Amino acid sequence: MNIPPGWAWLGQALLIIAGIILVIWLCRLGERRGTAYLADRPAYLRPLALLGGVLALLSALLPWVTFELNDGVYPELSTLQFFDEPWGVTGFRGFILLLGLASIVLAFVPIPAKRRVYRAIGLALFGITLFNTGFIIYYGGGIGAATAADGVVAFGGLVGLVAAAVVWFAHRSGPLEQVPLWNSKVSRAVAYPVLLLAFIALLLVVAMLLRAGTTADGDSRAYAGPIFLSLLFFISGVILALNGLGFTKWLTDVSDKHRLWSVVVLLGCSIALPFTEAGTDYWMTIAVNIGVYAATAIGLNIVVGLAGLLDLGYIAFLGIGAYVAANFSEASAAAFGIKLPFLAAAIVAAVVAGVFGAIVGSPTLRVRGDYLAIVTLAFGEIFRKAAQNDIGGLTGGANAIPDIPPISAFGQSFSAPLEIGGVKLPSGVLYYILVVVLVAVVMLVFANLKDSRIGRAWIAIREDEDAARAMGIKTGQAKILAFLIGATLAGLAGAVFAHKTSTVAYDSFQFIESVTLLAAVILGGMASIPGAVLGSALLIVLPEKLRDFQDLRLFLFGLALVLIMRFRPQGLIPDRHRRAELADEGVVEAPSQEHNVADSTPGGGAAVTR
Amino acid sequence: MATLLQQLISGLVLGGQIALIALGYTMVYGIIQLINFAHGEVFMVSVFGALATYNWFIPESWQQTWPLALLAMLVGAVVVAVVLAVLMERFAYRPLRNAPRLAPLITALGVSVMLKEIVRLSFPGATAAVHVPRAFWDEPITFKVPGGTVVIGSTGLLVIVVAIVGAVLLQVYISRSRMGRAMRATAQDPDTARLMGVDPNRTIVLTFVIGGALAGVAGVLYGVHLNNVDTDAGFLTGIFAFTAAVLGGVGSIKGAVIGGFIIGVIKTVGGQYLPGGTAYDLVWIFVLLILVLVFRPQGLFGEPERVRA
Amino acid sequence: MTALLEVENLSVAYGAIEAVRDISFAVGEGQIVSLIGSNGAGKTTTLRTISGLLRPLTGAIRFEGKPIESLAAHTILELGVAHCPEGRRLFGRMTVAENLQLGAYVRKDAGVAADMERVYELFPVLGERRNQKAGLFSGGEQQMLAIGRAMMSKPRLLMLDEPSMGLSPIMTQRIFDTIKELQSQGTTILLVEQNALAALALSDRGYVIDLGRTTLEGPGHDLLADERVRAAYLGDA
Repeated sequence: MNIPPGWAWLGQALLIIAGIILVIWLCRLGERRGTAYLADRPAYLRPLALLGGVLALLSALLPWVTFELNDGVYPELSTLQFFDEPWGVTGFRGFILLLGLASIVLAFVPIPAKRRVYRAIGLALFGITLFNTGFIIYYGGGIGAATAADGVVAFGGLVGLVAAAVVWFAHRSGPLEQVPLWNSKVSRAVAYPVLLLAFIALLLVVAMLLRAGTTADGDSRAYAGPIFLSLLFFISGVILALNGLGFTKWLTDVSDKHRLWSVVVLLGCSIALPFTEAGTDYWMTIAVNIGVYAATAIGLNIVVGLAGLLDLGYIAFLGIGAYVAANFSEASAAAFGIKLPFLAAAIVAAVVAGVFGAIVGSPTLRVRGDYLAIVTLAFGEIFRKAAQNDIGGLTGGANAIPDIPPISAFGQSFSAPLEIGGVKLPSGVLYYILVVVLVAVVMLVFANLKDSRIGRAWIAIREDEDAARAMGIKTGQAKILAFLIGATLAGLAGAVFAHKTSTVAYDSFQFIESVTLLAAVILGGMASIPGAVLGSALLIVLPEKLRDFQDLRLFLFGLALVLIMRFRPQGLIPDRHRRAELADEGVVEAPSQEHNVADSTPGGGAAVTR
Repeated sequence: MATLLQQLISGLVLGGQIALIALGYTMVYGIIQLINFAHGEVFMVSVFGALATYNWFIPESWQQTWPLALLAMLVGAVVVAVVLAVLMERFAYRPLRNAPRLAPLITALGVSVMLKEIVRLSFPGATAAVHVPRAFWDEPITFKVPGGTVVIGSTGLLVIVVAIVGAVLLQVYISRSRMGRAMRATAQDPDTARLMGVDPNRTIVLTFVIGGALAGVAGVLYGVHLNNVDTDAGFLTGIFAFTAAVLGGVGSIKGAVIGGFIIGVIKTVGGQYLPGGTAYDLVWIFVLLILVLVFRPQGLFGEPERVRA
Repeated sequence: MTALLEVENLSVAYGAIEAVRDISFAVGEGQIVSLIGSNGAGKTTTLRTISGLLRPLTGAIRFEGKPIESLAAHTILELGVAHCPEGRRLFGRMTVAENLQLGAYVRKDAGVAADMERVYELFPVLGERRNQKAGLFSGGEQQMLAIGRAMMSKPRLLMLDEPSMGLSPIMTQRIFDTIKELQSQGTTILLVEQNALAALALSDRGYVIDLGRTTLEGPGHDLLADERVRAAYLGDA
């Protein structure tokens, strides 16, 4: 009897899985042992940092791959080239070189919170080396691609991993230091230029990230994904190091004290993006999408982040706004023959979406928690189905509403390229500016609401609805208001969306879109404005950048969601108040972390409050 | 009359599948208050598990004899579903038990995306319908009613019977056995359950195992009954199943099954008779869900929601 | 005499808040030992740490000389330490019989049914209504069931957290009689009480805990006579 083919495959798969588990287990064991050994040996910091740095330099100069990968560009960044072109180490190996140099230099420079910095360097090195080695192995068709094959050796990746581990262990030579607190009471003469420089740096970093891996004309080139991710790891490492040094904390404090200036500079920098290297048609479109998403996500943040009401059908409000705007745009498929000016149409869209928001929110009077999530999911699906079936002739059904004319003002169509004083700007730049204004308005609304009476009521409801009601908060009104305002903002974003994409179709508003929005809010950090923007940006840019992983990119997206929630459940940029609350929660749970079930322990909570 | 009966029967068949999956949702939610969004995808993967077993793991002679093929597919589907459920619990949800409430939800969504992708990558062309063998005897049962005949396929009957028998067995297990008591205790008061010597991790894993096994059974039945499957099968069925669980009252086994049948029937009968027809069948299901939740938030058979600290 | 349970320099913290600071005490085999102190003194936290629900910051907990502070709750119960929690915490949606069966969850011997009968004998009201939901019972009856449930694991050491809370004086007396009875049957008891008078009268040894520290200790009767105790806990001027 011949064995069916499945068994051999299963055997192989199990072997690979066992191998991966073994490696992870060994790493964890090593980490634990190493940490235990190093715990009280601060003298090891410098030698380890030096060794790690030297190894990192070595790995940057060694070849990484034994033969050329198919598309030809990647080896340019990964084979030996240093000796014919001394400063030609580019791409991820350039970052490894920089991190290695930093590791060596910092070993001799007295800085505060050194271990935190080495932790950041170690993580960045680890991310870059692991990812690139893995990529080479995967696309090179085996481990030979990153070690030795056909008489060629390439140990760059392995040396890099060792370097990352050594630098990581350098930070284990004692407890992490307190993050140093810098005096944030600085005069304007210092604060203004510093903030200006910081935001310009931010702008350049964003532009660099957007452009990473693309050619001069903005086309995505081969291996854009790894190039982008390597840069992302590098920048994350730098930011983490600045965090550890207390610099970001200082910067946010300073910008809090000079809020007006910060807002002006930030707005200026945002509008300056088209003038940077990211100013191409393609990236303008992406940036507009990010803006629309971010505005919607901030609206959702009112509902989820502030009032604590989970909404799984939020994309419907964007959809409603988009359909309203489309119907008043004089597109041939529009239900009404009237053309409202964009601003009027946007306001109508916002109002209609707001009304629907209040309707969707009304069950909150009786339904709570996860059940509410299901009700909102149901409303979202009802909307999508209704739109698919061309309800009342308003949505065009499966034919959608195509050919929505672009917004135009002062005779200039928003979708045409623009030329100001001889400088050619990419098409879509006006939409971009419109979206920047939109996001700014939405942020303003959010920030003001958050510190207002109603904002405090929402937070009270989020923390304990019964207690809030007992304190005299009209919880029903407040909750419906949260839905109403959130939906209004989404409707506004929808109006822009309709004109920018020029087609509004029901399948743009699927459940997965609501999930993505929610993921943007939670990834960024609940109730946090910069968090929502960062979350939206990541969720839109990552899939764009990972295009050349084709088959793997959605899988990687799912994996990234799981990993981020695993290691940073509070989000990337947690809201400051929220951060304090979360810290408290964590504290109560800490003593019994291994055996604790579900959420808080009622008895444990009582012990604290007694 | 005949049409109504025919639609009713189709509804019950659909409802039986939904019910089996709803049981997994309701049990996991009952014990750790987690909407395990990935459960629908576990079901979908299990259909492919059955298919893979049939195509790749059994000799041709087994493929020819349907009882052997059905058994092999059942084993394949259940093993795949259970392994997935256990891995998910261990590596995705357990580390997050003390995290903010929404974190596990996002994790669940991430897991669903991953599962769907894994299937898409392992079965090229699975985004469109893939054929699943019938593996059951072929005789449909026909009976005459005033105004025509009504047909119930043998596989359809199997679905209904398995759903009801499965739910009854589960109910007995939960209410009578030692582990069943431990599960109910953990659901009611996890800390006190620990004081009784119940290991919460074991109990929770068992819950996932049971949910996964039922999803696997549902997966085989789905494949054998409909004879095709695609990667989107998990999403809508999962939403239906969760709706059924909520409708019946989360935590209630009886509720999940009855909820499943109600949804199945509304989809088919409502699609036939309610305004809008099949284009709006989904809408009617959700309208009913919203009404039930507004007027009876704990669902038809649920206990009033426990106020959690 | 070697102690059955020894707690040495135990500290427990909820994050930055230290609820228990450096508590030490011992419970000898066959004794009734009570921990008394006002609200927030850290008594409940101490019991929850002994039974493995919380982890200590520092210090040691030994049962029969074996360190148990890092064991899982169910392992500690299997060793013979049962904990009857504050506020009774019955499974209200389960019947009396099911609650008792859960109490015997870790036991695999055949004597469970006989032991259930013994609980019904001790508390006839439970026996009469064994198939009713525990949530329907009055406070005193619930306390009986809670004690009965904790007894079902046949513990060497039974820890009772505020068994008299919210009960009428008559019911309180019945509960304390039961505790005495359990002791005479050979169970060691660690009692946490606010009702210091009744608890100390019953105890072989008492410890006064205040703001997370042991402030006084001694045989029950001595403590009862101690002026500081009387002033602080018994309302004597």
